[in-house]
Amino acid sequence: MSYIPGQPVSVVVQRIEIQKLRDGDNLILGFSIGGGIDQDSNQNPFSEDKTDKGIYVTRVSKGGPAEVAGLRIGDKIMQVNGWDMTMVTHDQARKKLTKKNEDVVRLLVTRRSLEDVVRQSMMQQPTH
Amino acid sequence: MQVDLVCRICDAAVSGRSSREERSRSSLPTLTAFNNPNCSHSPADIKAHNFGQTATMEDYDVPSAASILASVKEQEARFERLTRALEDERRNVSLQLERGSLPSDMLAGRTTGMSNQPLAWQQMVMQEQSPSNQTSLAMMQEPQEVVEETVTIEEDPGTPTSHVSVVTSDDGTTRRTETKVTKMVKTVTTRTVRQVPLGPDGLPLPEGSSPLGSYTDSIDRRYMKNGDRFIMPQATSTLTRSYNNYADSYSDTPDTQFRHYALHDGYGDVTENYGSLSRGVNYRPYRPYMAAGGYRPENSYTLPIRKEDYGHVAQPQVPMGSSTVDLNRSQPERFQPEPYGLEDDRRSLGQDEEEPFDLEPDYSTANRRTLPGRTIREPLRNGPRVRGYEDPIEAELIDERHPYIHGMYPAPLAQPERGSLASLDHMGGRRSPSIDSIRKDPRWRDPDLPEVIAMLGHPIDPVKSNAAAYLQHLCYENDKIKKDVRQLKGIPVLVGLLDHPKSEVHRKACGALRNISFGKDHDNKVAIKNCDGIPALIRLMRKTNDMEVRELITGTLWNLSSYEPLKMVIINHGLQTMTNEVVIPHSGWEHEPNEDSKPRDAEWTTVFKNTSGCLRNVSSDGAEARRRLRECEGLVDALLHALQSAVGKKDMDNKSVENCVCIMRNLSYHVHKEVPGAEKFQDPSALQGPDSSGTQRKKKDDAGCFGGKKAKEEWFNQGRKNGEHDKNYDTLDLPKRTEPTKGFELLYQPEVVRLYLSLLTESQNYNTLEAAAGALQNLSAGQWTWSNYIRATVRKEKGLPILVELLRSDSDKVVRAVAIALRNLSIDRRNKDLIGSYAMRDLVSNLPSGQQRPAKNLEEDTVVAILNTIHEIITDSSENARSLMTAQAIDKLVAINRTSQSARETKAASHVLQTVWSYKELRNALTKDGWNKTHFQPIATGTPKGSKSCKPGYDDTTLPLMEKNQGSRGCGSGDMIPMDEFGPDGYSTINQRDSNSKYKSSDGSSDLQEREPFKNDTNRKHYIRSNRPTVSLVDACDVKPQPVDSWV
Repeated sequence: MSYIPGQPVSVVVQRIEIQKLRDGDNLILGFSIGGGIDQDSNQNPFSEDKTDKGIYVTRVSKGGPAEVAGLRIGDKIMQVNGWDMTMVTHDQARKKLTKKNEDVVRLLVTRRSLEDVVRQSMMQQPTH
Repeated sequence: MQVDLVCRICDAAVSGRSSREERSRSSLPTLTAFNNPNCSHSPADIKAHNFGQTATMEDYDVPSAASILASVKEQEARFERLTRALEDERRNVSLQLERGSLPSDMLAGRTTGMSNQPLAWQQMVMQEQSPSNQTSLAMMQEPQEVVEETVTIEEDPGTPTSHVSVVTSDDGTTRRTETKVTKMVKTVTTRTVRQVPLGPDGLPLPEGSSPLGSYTDSIDRRYMKNGDRFIMPQATSTLTRSYNNYADSYSDTPDTQFRHYALHDGYGDVTENYGSLSRGVNYRPYRPYMAAGGYRPENSYTLPIRKEDYGHVAQPQVPMGSSTVDLNRSQPERFQPEPYGLEDDRRSLGQDEEEPFDLEPDYSTANRRTLPGRTIREPLRNGPRVRGYEDPIEAELIDERHPYIHGMYPAPLAQPERGSLASLDHMGGRRSPSIDSIRKDPRWRDPDLPEVIAMLGHPIDPVKSNAAAYLQHLCYENDKIKKDVRQLKGIPVLVGLLDHPKSEVHRKACGALRNISFGKDHDNKVAIKNCDGIPALIRLMRKTNDMEVRELITGTLWNLSSYEPLKMVIINHGLQTMTNEVVIPHSGWEHEPNEDSKPRDAEWTTVFKNTSGCLRNVSSDGAEARRRLRECEGLVDALLHALQSAVGKKDMDNKSVENCVCIMRNLSYHVHKEVPGAEKFQDPSALQGPDSSGTQRKKKDDAGCFGGKKAKEEWFNQGRKNGEHDKNYDTLDLPKRTEPTKGFELLYQPEVVRLYLSLLTESQNYNTLEAAAGALQNLSAGQWTWSNYIRATVRKEKGLPILVELLRSDSDKVVRAVAIALRNLSIDRRNKDLIGSYAMRDLVSNLPSGQQRPAKNLEEDTVVAILNTIHEIITDSSENARSLMTAQAIDKLVAINRTSQSARETKAASHVLQTVWSYKELRNALTKDGWNKTHFQPIATGTPKGSKSCKPGYDDTTLPLMEKNQGSRGCGSGDMIPMDEFGPDGYSTINQRDSNSKYKSSDGSSDLQEREPFKNDTNRKHYIRSNRPTVSLVDACDVKPQPVDSWV
């Protein structure tokens, strides 16, 4: 998942669509994020590359909308509703996720297991 | 599992973004061109703009390209249909218009080709063209408009329709209150809902419907979307540019250019017009400031003398109204919020002293500002709202027949014209002849300001009230006119009208005064006071039961109370009245509660909000003001009751609560010194008051270590004493009271701790949080029995974790207040130990560090406050100093000490470092970490004294007793004692505005924010809250700063 800034990256991503849960005035997605270009990426336990300042899913509440939608701890969020999340501050990411006027967020996330799966299948294909 | 292989995700992201931009760009010209008329709108519009825009951009992303295309196609088809309908309608209406004997030169005759059409319809034509080009993309893209957004915008004071209200000024029911605004909101919501079936996806238009019907429908829908989202926003920011564009393209090559515009803008056009149709007047109020000339035609109606003319004009508009059947439906209320009411809203949001002028910056962005000098007369002619001046009778008649007509009728006529004329005007010089001819139209005349003021004394009452209403309208957001009114001696006349027996008259006069009293210009406030306006307002408050009038009165008082010299006047004349008439009844508190009646809850009415705001302002006027408020019968009881009911109902984010907490904080300030009988409770060990400590400190300065030592002993004694007290408190109950506490005693009873802690836990309003923390800070300062109880109670009520958690708040002010409160609380030895071991990490993480900017960039004052708190905590506690080390604070402190730009930060950091170094038992560890003595010495040309020998004295003076600090403030600033840090700022929880002018300005600028960020607050607060578990005091000290982690 590491990449050179400015260079195109190819990753395997999964689309996840989360329907926010309404709780009074609050809209709840049911997960927490860490990371961001303003954060200390060294402390991110989920990133492979410790210089990766991307936004990561740090916690997913049991039974919450995010879990239902298939989000997992450690997922790296690439986009939120089309907005790039790979080069944003923590707060920017949070704001994009918590727009009060959107009941649904569409995420592009990537995780290591996805990459592995794809890599494997691509390795296997030639043998077919 | 649905797995997409996305290559070059970065590229994708980039391209996605650029397409977004393109789209938004393409929609830009439209908006600009057509929003021109809106440009001068209120700040509210601007805000709406920003908000709307982001939303828009995002929404683009949602649908897929294919679906967009599909919906666009659909829209095209529909629009063609619509266009046909529109044309029919246009023909229809213009016929009627002509029949109505509209002066044709007014409407027609622009340089454009469609010379025969009235202007309004010219614009319509433009719109029609645009749709054919399919540019409606943006609009169509978001089928389901989000209601919330609409609401936001509607709530903005800027949007309510001014015009209507003025027209209806004769009618007793006209309201410019917040309730009105709410009603507006409802209206909009309705529309939104309606809109859904109409949405582009849903193929809104019923096939069989008559052209007219379909037309209306589309109006509604479009209006909603663009009006709210695209149009209004654009208006302000893009003003100039757009004007130019529009002008150029328009005049140069009307046809082709126009096409071009139509491409993107067509919808914008439509919307504009529609917007004006339905909302019509909304945009009016601000117009005046844009171009004086453009609005003439409308103004002409203003003069009451010309009844016949109105007849003329009004007639043709009724037909227009016919197309608005639909609109009527969407305007449930006959009277829209009035323009002048807006100013009030603003005031109420921002009027605190700290904030009175936040809004001002906003105003400045309004275009009107950019207009150079204007004569007194000019503004009048701009005002389309002049409608109010129509002959009242006429107006009423029309009202009865067509309740909504007023709102709309200006639209067809005025709106398009305004737009076009205004833009023409703005082009500068390129004025079309028709405008001039309109201007010269001999049939119309504008009333000028002196005339209006003269009308205030007119023998006929409706004229008086109309004139007052008109004045209020003119004054809205226009400091120049306010000043002119003052100079023309209009204020005494208005004040005189307050005693007028007719409610219509005193209501309008009060409204005008409210707007006049709003703003930076204190001369207006003084002028009101000088003609005994304050007692007159209070008299009226006692006399009237009309809620609206009371809102106006209290609003005016709130405005007035933002000016220092008037505070005492307000207290003298109005304190008890406001308490009896408003605070007590609305708080739900009862003097002698009926046994069978349930305790009532507070009602957060506008009147209560205004009154509490006013009291909040006056409560900061010094010791005498505090004394008066504390001793005002029932006030403290009622405020506490209101707050308790807020906590009970979990309704703690509103402005009224904020005001109440701020009053409580202010009244808690110096309570241990100022309350009658406070001496009895003084802690004997602390009996030397501030003065004596000041002298003592001086002595110490002179005597060097000796005095310091003595002070240190004292400190230890105190500490021991406190400890004993705590023990006593833990085991013994508080002094038993035979009768329930009441009045100011309630301020410092340990029971209030729970209230403040609840607010700190639950509220999402930064100002409330700050004030609640400030109240605890005030109560825990000082050495008297009650502050000992308070400090212990905070601990026993588990308040320390709550406070520590708030150190993570995103709000500077909150962090600062909490830090200082913690410092005061740590006077209690056990609190000190707890805070030292559990709060250190959060305190340290708020400090800036050299290389890496912290997540929050705290103000100097906050950093200094935190440093001082740290200092207090590690003083006399090597254990706490050790946890400071383990929190890895030393490198931050050294960095601040060496590199900070701020002398105060440097000084405070240096004190902490010296204290750390003074613990010999820590030096080993420090040296092991690579530090040496030089790191802990003051970098600045500090005092020659060795840090250690000085320390005792230093300790003493830094005791968080604010009296001591204040008393000793200013002496011996040359030595290491950071007196300034500990000045009133640090300890006073009085609104900072009082103590520090710098705050004033900064707060002022942030005032605006007070309003906007509310939304964000929720999120932020949410984040804070969600972290609570990790912050709990039970956690061991984590050395590393916790990575930020936000629940969403």
